[in-house]
Amino acid sequence: MDRKNKRILQTTLIIVVVLGIIVSLYLYAGQRAFVSTIFSGLTLGSLFFLVAAGLTLIFGLMDVLNFAHGSMFMLGAYIGWQFYTNPTFIFGVAPLALAFGTGVMFISVLKPYLIAWNLSPRMQKLLPTIAYILAAVVIVFAVLGFDILGLANTAMVAMTTTTVGNPLAEISPQEPLAEFWIRPVLMMLGGLLIAFGSSKPGDKTQYAPKENLGKAMLLPAILLVVTVVSIFIRESAPVSVLLMNGNIRFLLSILVSVAFGFVFGAVIEIILIRPLYARPTFIILMTLGLSYVIRELVQFLWDPLTYQMARPPLFAMPGKAASIGEWLQNGNSTIDILGATVPTYRLFIIALGIVMFALVTLLMTKTRLGMIIRAGVQDPEMVEAMGINVKSVFTLVFALGVALATLGGIGAAPFLPVQPLMGDAYQTQGLITVVIGGMGSYVGAFVGAMILGMARAFGDYFALKLSLSPAIAEASTVIIMVIVLLTRPQGLFGSKE
Amino acid sequence: MSEVNHDDLLNVDNIHTFIGQFHILEGVSVRVKKGSITVLLGRNGAGKTTTLKSIIGLTPPREGKIIFDGMEIQGKRPYNIANLGIGYVPEHRAIFRQLSVLENLKLAERKKGDFERSSEFIFKLFPDLKRLYKLPGNHLSGGQQQMLAVARALVPENKLLLIDEPSEGLAPILIQQMMEAIETLSHTTTILLVEQNFIMASQLAKQYVIIDDGKSVSSGSIKDLVLQPEVIHRYLGASIKTRKELEMEHGSEE
Repeated sequence: MDRKNKRILQTTLIIVVVLGIIVSLYLYAGQRAFVSTIFSGLTLGSLFFLVAAGLTLIFGLMDVLNFAHGSMFMLGAYIGWQFYTNPTFIFGVAPLALAFGTGVMFISVLKPYLIAWNLSPRMQKLLPTIAYILAAVVIVFAVLGFDILGLANTAMVAMTTTTVGNPLAEISPQEPLAEFWIRPVLMMLGGLLIAFGSSKPGDKTQYAPKENLGKAMLLPAILLVVTVVSIFIRESAPVSVLLMNGNIRFLLSILVSVAFGFVFGAVIEIILIRPLYARPTFIILMTLGLSYVIRELVQFLWDPLTYQMARPPLFAMPGKAASIGEWLQNGNSTIDILGATVPTYRLFIIALGIVMFALVTLLMTKTRLGMIIRAGVQDPEMVEAMGINVKSVFTLVFALGVALATLGGIGAAPFLPVQPLMGDAYQTQGLITVVIGGMGSYVGAFVGAMILGMARAFGDYFALKLSLSPAIAEASTVIIMVIVLLTRPQGLFGSKE
Repeated sequence: MSEVNHDDLLNVDNIHTFIGQFHILEGVSVRVKKGSITVLLGRNGAGKTTTLKSIIGLTPPREGKIIFDGMEIQGKRPYNIANLGIGYVPEHRAIFRQLSVLENLKLAERKKGDFERSSEFIFKLFPDLKRLYKLPGNHLSGGQQQMLAVARALVPENKLLLIDEPSEGLAPILIQQMMEAIETLSHTTTILLVEQNFIMASQLAKQYVIIDDGKSVSSGSIKDLVLQPEVIHRYLGASIKTRKELEMEHGSEE
């Protein structure tokens, strides 16, 4: 009973202090500055949440601290920006990536037959090696002479030369289909060879029943159709996308970016992280290295330059809207809220953060996957011993985490300069958020992100008003982290284990 | 040891298991007859728990064979092994403490509707759980957690249950209740039990296997074992406790 009273006292104290801070800030700053700072804080908080949610889920379930999360955020921004500005690059590269993926996915069909082969232990080791080497050779031939930089240039050129009215002015010509078709075919062959090698021919300890073959065929078959379609729409699709309404195009960019993040995350988990679960330090080094690889790759494709993605029409028209109705009708860039001028695009980011928090909450509390994740945070071995394939759950959670990061990236792209280092600050803030909120807690990530967002926004406000160094805003988040670590080392919502 | 016997649901044949660099099991053979309770006996640290974990695949053996229901299962992933119809109840009541009782049971489903089918039986066996089904696992008492751990293995249809020390740390009255529950289960399922409490073990089980220092050293009918005090003394020694000792030990709990 005593402990319960103490907790009630503590909670009341915290509420009183927080209310006190809010009221004194309101009185000090005045309504206009207060409201506009609150909205900046919510905007930053939403972006921090999108980064931190993935970090905390991944860390909670599999003890992996993903130091490439910021780079994935940045990659999401680039993919979305490409698709929105000129999707020639995306549609040009997609057939190759899809063909390769289709080939690899045939593993589920091949495996039940290959593991039943009778091979000597020597051949069991030799065959996959040969398959991998052959795959590498085939893939080199598939991409030999492929003008990837020319494709990557299209959006940059489109940005600098086209007028707003005619985004089609600079669609660069692509390889004719008669020359191009061999590339996806070779890529698929490469994928098939990798599928052959990694299904471990002759390994009798592997388990893959043949009864599920119909189900196993489904995904590769769908992918095969998508690949063939992507080969034929390669040149026409970019034009159709650019002719679309800008808002719909933006929505599509978000979907493309999220889908890319999901697949990219799954691939990274399977190829790079899965072999290292027994060596946690190696995972940290590997993700750190991966972040540099991603950054260099982006600089190779799009040069180390800074781009500004145009805001979609709904947020683009200069001038202030007096009400939400007026904004939705005219697409104003700012809106009047309680006397303060708030950029409308910020409202979109805030909504994105809140909707994603609601969806993550639903996923974690109402679905079987959420139940598995919560159980796996405590004891993944026992979850596996109950008959649940924990490895594939790890892959799924990593993929979802990266998809959240790329969603944050494309969400931020019209708001932040798109450049190779844009994710770094968000990764740092995301890590601080996770520490404040408690490792593994998505509620903690949301509350922590909002606290940090507010601290940054009000830090900036005070720095400007009192002519202090702007570093004070950045320092404030670290100070909050130190205070939380000293008083509640497990974080605000962390469990004690 | 290698002749095929179709009465065996599980045949663990001379397995060697390593944990890191440590050679934990150095030749363990266990045969479990269909429709009976077999108990693994032995001192603390003899390798009983590792034997169960090797069967379910959490610590896969490096050598030897494990044949379950006519199929070699050594080296398969734990979830594949479990899905063949093996339920595992780990030691230390390893339930999911952040999940409610209901969620713990729901999570154990392998097919949709498993829980609906088995809930009546489970709540009849452990009426406490029905009363508490909304509570999170960390609000349950030790005995209730142990019941939940066993109940979880009853949700899907299992051919074999591996139960690790169900009486560990329970008050005598709860031990009695747990014994009755396991006895009821044995009418419908085959059970491989690890049990330190020799009295409980000898009353429940038909067959026994003694594991000592990572090797299986003696096996047979438990009726014969009771008549061999020198074997009991040699391999089980300190781990045998009389009912009186147990009562003194656990009297203050719960």
